[in-house]
Amino acid sequence: MSEDDGPRRRLGRREVLAASATGAAAATAGCVGSIFGDNNSENELSLSDFRGSGPFVSGRPAPDGTSMDDLDDLSGTLSIYIGGGEGGLYRGLIELLQQKYPDFDAQLKSAPSTQLANTIIQESENGNPRADVFWSIDASSLGLVANAGYATSLPSAVTDPVPSELQDSNGRWVGVAGRARAIPYNTNRFSASDIPNKVDAFANQERFANSMGWGPTYGAFKSFVTAMRIMDGREATKQWLQGMLDQGTEEFRDEYFVSRGVATGAVSAGFANHYYALRVKAARENPPIDLAFTENDAGALVNVSGVEIIEGTQRSDLAGLFAEHLLTAEAQEFFATRAYAYPMIAGVQPVGDLPTIDELNPPELDLTELSDLEPTLELMREVGVL
Amino acid sequence: MATEEGLVDALRREARGERTLALTLLSAAIAALVLSPVAWILLEASTVGFARAVNLLAGARMVQVLVNSLLLVGIVTGASVVLGVPLAILTSQTNLPFRRFFTVAISLPLVVPSYIGAFAYFTGFGEDGALTAALADAGVAVSLPEMTGLVGTAVVLTLFTFPYVFLSTRASLASFDGTLLEAARTLNHSRTSAFFRVVFPQVLPGIAAGGLLVALYALSDFGTPAIMGYDVFTRILFVNYYDFQLAALLSVQLLAVTAVIIALESAVESGDASGYASSNPDAATRLELGWLKGPALVVCSLVVVAALAVPIVVLVLWLVRDTGQTGFGYAFSWEYGWNSLSVSVLAAVASILFALPVAYNSVTDDGRLSRLAERGTYVGYAVPGIVVGVALVALGSKYAPFLYGQIPLLVFAYVVRFLPQAVGSVRSSVLQVDGRLTEAARTLGHSPRAAFRKVTLPLVAPGIVSGAALVFLTTMKELPATLLLRPGGFETLVTYIWMVQESRHYGKAAVPALVLVGISAISMLVLLSRGGNDVT
Repeated sequence: MSEDDGPRRRLGRREVLAASATGAAAATAGCVGSIFGDNNSENELSLSDFRGSGPFVSGRPAPDGTSMDDLDDLSGTLSIYIGGGEGGLYRGLIELLQQKYPDFDAQLKSAPSTQLANTIIQESENGNPRADVFWSIDASSLGLVANAGYATSLPSAVTDPVPSELQDSNGRWVGVAGRARAIPYNTNRFSASDIPNKVDAFANQERFANSMGWGPTYGAFKSFVTAMRIMDGREATKQWLQGMLDQGTEEFRDEYFVSRGVATGAVSAGFANHYYALRVKAARENPPIDLAFTENDAGALVNVSGVEIIEGTQRSDLAGLFAEHLLTAEAQEFFATRAYAYPMIAGVQPVGDLPTIDELNPPELDLTELSDLEPTLELMREVGVL
Repeated sequence: MATEEGLVDALRREARGERTLALTLLSAAIAALVLSPVAWILLEASTVGFARAVNLLAGARMVQVLVNSLLLVGIVTGASVVLGVPLAILTSQTNLPFRRFFTVAISLPLVVPSYIGAFAYFTGFGEDGALTAALADAGVAVSLPEMTGLVGTAVVLTLFTFPYVFLSTRASLASFDGTLLEAARTLNHSRTSAFFRVVFPQVLPGIAAGGLLVALYALSDFGTPAIMGYDVFTRILFVNYYDFQLAALLSVQLLAVTAVIIALESAVESGDASGYASSNPDAATRLELGWLKGPALVVCSLVVVAALAVPIVVLVLWLVRDTGQTGFGYAFSWEYGWNSLSVSVLAAVASILFALPVAYNSVTDDGRLSRLAERGTYVGYAVPGIVVGVALVALGSKYAPFLYGQIPLLVFAYVVRFLPQAVGSVRSSVLQVDGRLTEAARTLGHSPRAAFRKVTLPLVAPGIVSGAALVFLTTMKELPATLLLRPGGFETLVTYIWMVQESRHYGKAAVPALVLVGISAISMLVLLSRGGNDVT
């Protein structure tokens, strides 16, 4: 990847990106984009480019916080490993950034987050790191790399705007979008007051027998079990899992399907990340689904998608600036409106009638500890849910 | 045969120079190169202490993986025989209506890459599947069972690999000497009894050959069990590939199972099917279906629907349903198609360059080293793609960092996997070269090199072209090695399908998947035009 062929290669790609990302007529947008791309170092993008056009967008206040325009331009090549299933949205944001900054070229590699974390560790152990930035869907894989010693300390400009419980205690990774554990429930079957404020209740109350859904093979669920194991101990967690099994909890492929099952009435309630219920709401006409949140237990975990800079990178300045961009008002608005994620900065609100992150009662837990996944998998296999 | 011997003698006489040795050494070097991934696996596995190896492999989970893999291979192979053999008999030995149509339609599922079949079944079936929903919209309320785990994997692999058994059984039925059947009839056997006592033993090797292909495919397939969430060797290897020691141990186990399957097949194989090939049985020897005609037609139609119509329909459903709304960031770009095209061309060219000396040398020189070199290049047939990928990731990142995560290493993985196709193709056309022509050129004063260029090369060109085409087309749809070895920022049609499939943006997979099915259909045509039952 020589310096010379970089810009020329990007030109062709950006034509496509410009067309697909903005949805404008392909040919015109491509031409205009590339013409300006050659002369200007920055293309103008409006807030609506980042905000998108979902059903929860109208009437939102303008986001407040550092704007991308306050930051230096992104320029140069950056190798970004993107871990996790919702990575498509992240790719979308990166495409917008490349559109905004014609001199910015992101080389992306997507794969399941744990696998990428281990790849980074392996490459680093061989003295041959290939990633500059690891952007992962959950804190556990970020913690895996950090605990192996291959994540650098982030500059304070990156970490300062983010609440301390949503970043690594040693400043090696920082959350960019929050994902709360939630209880999606079918409003025809339950009212909000029926939903207990502890997950424990689901495992032993008669009314939840044969009515719950879960996706135990899904990564976020495993992180939730890890949190429970760290907070309540192995034995209690085992009992909870066994209790849910005995309740006849129905298994779904992942938590999107759990939430959809709740909306269709296949189950009455379930365990899922909060944003899936919003995705279901966005896709259907007034589906009978709403969200409840437990309090101060593993069921109330707020996990994050976050970034870290890989030790040994030659581009740590660009990597840091990239991370700063993810925490700007525009990017946070992007995560909030397109991924229905919890914003990390105070000036941006979550969509719809989601409680704000201050109104949630997440447990006291260092998210880096979630990287200790293996005992969780053993436990889940032992009970027979995996 | 006479031609071949004539050629071999002639070439051998001619090649009695220092060039032979150079060529043999070159072939040996090529064989060593493509064997290097396997060599690495054996070396790496041997560095794992015995205690740790036992600890790693004897754990409940790894035992489960072994059992799962064997179970899958057994079920898929068995089901393919149960499906493929009767269908072969029905379409070639009976008075089934529309025989020609069914013969083609039943072979065609081979053009659907199994991971695309798995995608279609996984996303189409089940309570919330695309096909279920479409049927419900059309007023047909059926509950299609969910396709996951062992059932889903076995169903998909059977549907998309049983044509191997179907085709190989048909081939051996076609080469069956019809007079034997008549002899049995004169010995007072009923038609059915004669069929089972005379025909069946004769076609058994054919069934076994098809079964071998199915078993090896089921064992080495990565995409289907990964989509279905069924833990077999390939899936565990993919998830754990960064743990090189574990990966090497698993690979050794996988190769061992492969070896056992091949050994089992060669135990069934008898001598050459003898006698005269009678093309299609004439009316006198055709089995009358009678009242079975109706049920037979239903079974044939159901198989065609399940293995051909379902995947295509589900892909088209996703194509229509793709609103593009949730796939933001996964916008399809023809750049991916271009990337697929470029690496496939590179793989085809590289494979032919590697295949030429090996094939030429194996024909002109039958010394032990030459034969070993040729056999060595066939390793790609037996070694699963995921193993090649894992080995090259390890080799590359440890010993060749300048290659790791770069296109050349990816292309090399394709060469290792698909060189056998190129060698086979080139070799068979080299064999067809009449040695006397080369001799004539030599008597006319041409140097050996000029004779090769002016006489041999034009004659082997068709073999080169079809070999290159085969490598090109199979590279286009290769999944596991591409996933592991692609450079950052480099997506192909296949990795794009995988990416959107993993992120549940199913609609986005429709276009590239249909493109790949089309490309595979072309590769089927190439195979058929070559007239062999070669496998890819």
